[in-house]
Amino acid sequence: MNDSVLMLTIVAAIGLGTPIVFATVGEILAERSGILNLGVQGMMLVGAVMGFWATFQTGSLWLGVLAAIIAGAALSVIHAFNSVTLRVSQIVSGLALTIFGTGVAIFIGRVGAIPLIGEPSRAVFKPILPDALADLPIVGPLIFGHDALVYLSWIVVAVASFYLFHTRPGLTVRAVGEDPASAEAAGINVSTVRYTHVMIGGALAGLGGAYFSLALVPSWQDNPMGAAGWIAIALVILASWRPWRALWVAYLFGAAGRVGFTLQTLGISIPASLLAMLPFVLAILAMLVLTSGKRARFLGAPAALGIPYFREER
Amino acid sequence: MSRRFIIEPRGLAPWWLKLLIPIASVIAALIIGAFFLMLTGNDWAEVYTKMLDTAFGSGRGFAETLVSATPLILTGVAAAIAFRMLVWNIGGEGQLMFGAIVAAGVGVWLTESTPAFIAIIAVILAGAVGGAFWASLAAVPKVYLGTNEIITTLMLNFIALNLMNYLVFGSFSPWRDPESTQFPQGRPIIENAGVPEFFHRLDWGLFVAIVVAVIAWFVISKTRSGFEYRIVGDSFDTARYVGIKVPKKVLGTFLASGAAAGLAGSILVAGILGKMDPRSLDLGLGFTGIIVAALARLNPIAIIPVAILMGALNNAGPALQSIGVPSATVKILQGAILIFAVAGEFLISNRVRRPDRTPQDIEVEEEAKAA
Repeated sequence: MNDSVLMLTIVAAIGLGTPIVFATVGEILAERSGILNLGVQGMMLVGAVMGFWATFQTGSLWLGVLAAIIAGAALSVIHAFNSVTLRVSQIVSGLALTIFGTGVAIFIGRVGAIPLIGEPSRAVFKPILPDALADLPIVGPLIFGHDALVYLSWIVVAVASFYLFHTRPGLTVRAVGEDPASAEAAGINVSTVRYTHVMIGGALAGLGGAYFSLALVPSWQDNPMGAAGWIAIALVILASWRPWRALWVAYLFGAAGRVGFTLQTLGISIPASLLAMLPFVLAILAMLVLTSGKRARFLGAPAALGIPYFREER
Repeated sequence: MSRRFIIEPRGLAPWWLKLLIPIASVIAALIIGAFFLMLTGNDWAEVYTKMLDTAFGSGRGFAETLVSATPLILTGVAAAIAFRMLVWNIGGEGQLMFGAIVAAGVGVWLTESTPAFIAIIAVILAGAVGGAFWASLAAVPKVYLGTNEIITTLMLNFIALNLMNYLVFGSFSPWRDPESTQFPQGRPIIENAGVPEFFHRLDWGLFVAIVVAVIAWFVISKTRSGFEYRIVGDSFDTARYVGIKVPKKVLGTFLASGAAAGLAGSILVAGILGKMDPRSLDLGLGFTGIIVAALARLNPIAIIPVAILMGALNNAGPALQSIGVPSATVKILQGAILIFAVAGEFLISNRVRRPDRTPQDIEVEEEAKAA
């Protein structure tokens, strides 16, 4: 039963969806504080290369993860500075981050005495629970058969959701994203909240990137993750800025990434390029249906998203 | 509370500052790049000399720089005219590709006997129409439903890319050369539709791009329609108040932006490529156009020299591999240029002064500096 096409597809969807879960939840936190960061793709790629590099140097997966988190967060500081302190265009600044990050990732992968490119990773994330559990029918592969980062992604989703909707600091973040002037009047430091959440977003994007280079495709390539960062940005909307929904939509898109292979095993062949189009077509259709006009507010788009906040001089 | 600096918005920045900031952005980016190169044990001076030499050191090299600059002028204009009106069209990539698809479609469909004059115009205009159509997929929902164009234009980039790949790599469409079975390639467009070259690989498409930039400048700064456009760009409310039909203006700008990007696609197809070659059309030309627009501060005339600078970088990139340096150096430089250029906008729209000096003091000083 665990080898059925459906099960294999779901399990693959969880694997392919996991990096996107990290990145999407990170972007949700940043956007909830009012900052749109189109640099996700760049932050993920820098996380992917630095995570791979650190593991390559030390042999330690967790040092790799740490390096990826630091790299993603470090890159995001540039965006926070541009959009919070200087209050310039968040859209252009985010794009700049992606172009810069993409360049840095390819560059780092191709320099040095032993270039990383083409090298296999020295360590790879593997399932952590005993086979006896992972072999249980249905729940085995679905729940017990994953590597540590999949479980971490579940924790991140649960914590982020609880934080945003059931804690006082979470309320603060949402207040800053909705109405920064009122939040400031209530004694909240808008800049601090926004800096923090853009950086958490960067850290999670870096972590998501590392999942590609240390688990999904554990050898270095110029870009091991396709357009995952851009997909994450689309999924924030499909998840209507809610972490749990991010988990489900990310898995749905993971499944979309797998469906071509599944169909092939069933004897149906669809050109790869048409299937690759699918997530983006779905994202646009969903946007047209769900997020037009007033419904966007209804879904939960932060009211001050993307709008620079000018504090009145006192 | 005493503060060391006061930051306040300013009306008009002095002209020298508008010139200084982009130049400073490029210099700062070169310093960042040098830092990366030194950190990885490369000789930054050698790398920059090699780049300069490749891009400008010979007639042939400069011709290649202009070849690289041609599509960037158009994607730069595409981004600039949209951004100026706060239409965030970041779909230049997709509009360029769909423009190329339509242009190549016309180019292979025309019969060989079509006169060159007609064939060239048909193929090039087809690209503009294709780009405008692709933009309309985001523009119409934006204007009539309020759908955020940032995400839709972004997604449309990937749809166009995969559509292009499908037409050549995934199917036996008319776009695919029927003789290429092992390694699929685009089908060459008819000979008469090819834009003639005049110096090495440089063709007349360069002048089409320059003319488009000049037209954009003329329309924006010298016509009634451009005047209205500028009002909308400054304030939707003001525009509505004086009776300008804002949705129509936004739609028109969005489509014009798409057409410019699509033109970049058709000029590539009718020029250096001669067919729809997916790999050569997926080089981030749309995104680089955004760098061009930002560094040119959305001024269509300034786009021309800035596009030549970016074209020089793109042209120099591959040459770096011969001295053992990744061509991605160029991407780091371009990304850093954009980071600094967008940050520099802060200094253009704000004045930073010490509390003991008045804005008037500073204005006098700035005028003295300019003189």
